[in-house]
Amino acid sequence: MANDLVLDTAIRDWVLVPLSLVMVLIGVLRHFVSKALQSSPTPDPKAFKESQVVIRARYLRGAANYIPLKAFRMRRTYYNNEENGLLHVPKGQAQNMQAQMFSDPNMAMDMMKKNLSMIVPQTLTFAWVNFFFSGFVTAKIPFPLTQRFRAMLQNGIDLSSVDVSYVSSRSWYFLNLFGLRGLFSLILGEENATDDTQRLMQTQMAMQMGGLGADPAKALGAEKDGLDLIQHDWVLPKIEQKAEVVLRQFLDH
Amino acid sequence: MVGVADEMEVDRLEQELESGHGDVTEYLGLVRKLKLRRSANVLKHGVALLNNPSAKSKLGTDVWTIYEQVAVAALDSDDLRVAEECVKALLIKFPDSARVARLEGMWMEAKGQWKEASAIYDSVIQEIPFDSQLHKRKVAIFKAQGKLSEAAETLIKYLDTFMADHEAWRELANIYISQQMYKQAAFCFEELLLAQPGNALYHLGYAEVLYTIGGVENLRTAKKYYASTIELSGGKNLRALYGVCLCGLALSQTKLRTKEEKDNTNLQSLAAAVILKEYKDKAPNKADLVSSVLEKQKS
Repeated sequence: MANDLVLDTAIRDWVLVPLSLVMVLIGVLRHFVSKALQSSPTPDPKAFKESQVVIRARYLRGAANYIPLKAFRMRRTYYNNEENGLLHVPKGQAQNMQAQMFSDPNMAMDMMKKNLSMIVPQTLTFAWVNFFFSGFVTAKIPFPLTQRFRAMLQNGIDLSSVDVSYVSSRSWYFLNLFGLRGLFSLILGEENATDDTQRLMQTQMAMQMGGLGADPAKALGAEKDGLDLIQHDWVLPKIEQKAEVVLRQFLDH
Repeated sequence: MVGVADEMEVDRLEQELESGHGDVTEYLGLVRKLKLRRSANVLKHGVALLNNPSAKSKLGTDVWTIYEQVAVAALDSDDLRVAEECVKALLIKFPDSARVARLEGMWMEAKGQWKEASAIYDSVIQEIPFDSQLHKRKVAIFKAQGKLSEAAETLIKYLDTFMADHEAWRELANIYISQQMYKQAAFCFEELLLAQPGNALYHLGYAEVLYTIGGVENLRTAKKYYASTIELSGGKNLRALYGVCLCGLALSQTKLRTKEEKDNTNLQSLAAAVILKEYKDKAPNKADLVSSVLEKQKS
């Protein structure tokens, strides 16, 4: 084509390559910074104990029929009595997840750290790219593309006359931002901190789980109701006959 | 659980090592993975591996895991010199590690320095309050000194938090039995039955404790649990068979028998027959003795 743009090789040396390099380096840096900031979660003693209570109560619910009635009643009272039963949660004391999040500074701190390591470098690099390289055409894709790709590839250049296969510097930044994930998992291993999508999934999962598992009061209450409902039906009254059958078979062999 | 295939694989590796051309690293790895306790062999081959500089350098960072494994095996085999070497090497490499600190504590325990060991565990517990192994080691210290009531106390405190740890309940049951606190032991066995209702040994243990406590009600329940042990073990548990006989005997001497019990002595006679058959099969020279004992019980 006659009106083909010719890109200066200096653009390649001073914009395209440095931009990609900086993106990679920042990704690596972010990985290590967020690793350093990550505090190992120390479980709350009360929450830990409550989870253990729930497990033990679940054992009781599951295998209640294997212990004598007296032992079962004793345990049920131990868990469910209204004064100091382990599963009994006094009204009003049940705090919801939201309130707990605000009352626990560690949790807020953790979230802030995560967000900081995610947002701050991104903002900074974006500002840097915008400031130094705005309006550059940095690269050309070796194949033609339709007009629809203009928004993706020529962000920051408002010229409709430029062919779509040219890539602006800001678009190159975005392409790197989203396209380097594969490279990072190669360099830093699968479990790297740069992978924002994974983290997003995790937080969403945690939110969903939060409704059930992470709310200890609810889990305790559910266990309590379950225990209240079950009927004790000792399995052993007929066991002697069963044992006789077993022994007869044993003798016949 | 260790499957039969795994067990055979370990045995094969052990034999290969005996004949001098086995893969020590693979053997040690398998033992670790299956959590086996073959301390003598681990110690022998592990020390040989660690004393071989060329093989050692091939291990890379795995060498520290092997140091740990050999240290535990050495403590188990009362080879304090090897244990000391391993623990010291690990302490130099990981001065702040809680895992190594626990190992150091175990080494102190092996030397009988109970106070020092306890102090190490306490300091680590302050940092990591939810490491169940550390708490259990503290119980072990009391137990090793023969202070069973302190051991029970520590264990109860541990169970107050880690109440779903059924192995700890089992240990507590054993301690209570050796202290003749049978009612408490019965409670522990009830916990165990709840956690693993299909385990015949827990049924048996509960039955034995109830039988020991005595009383008509308990004897009846004990007999039922002996019977369930028989059912779960397919009649192969001799203790349960004897237990049924003894319970039947004890109950026959009481006056509070129900009509059903008076009529129904099938289970006892069946159990006695099975006992006799087992002895005839496996130890014929004792069969006469056993049959005379069983005869006495009947009359």
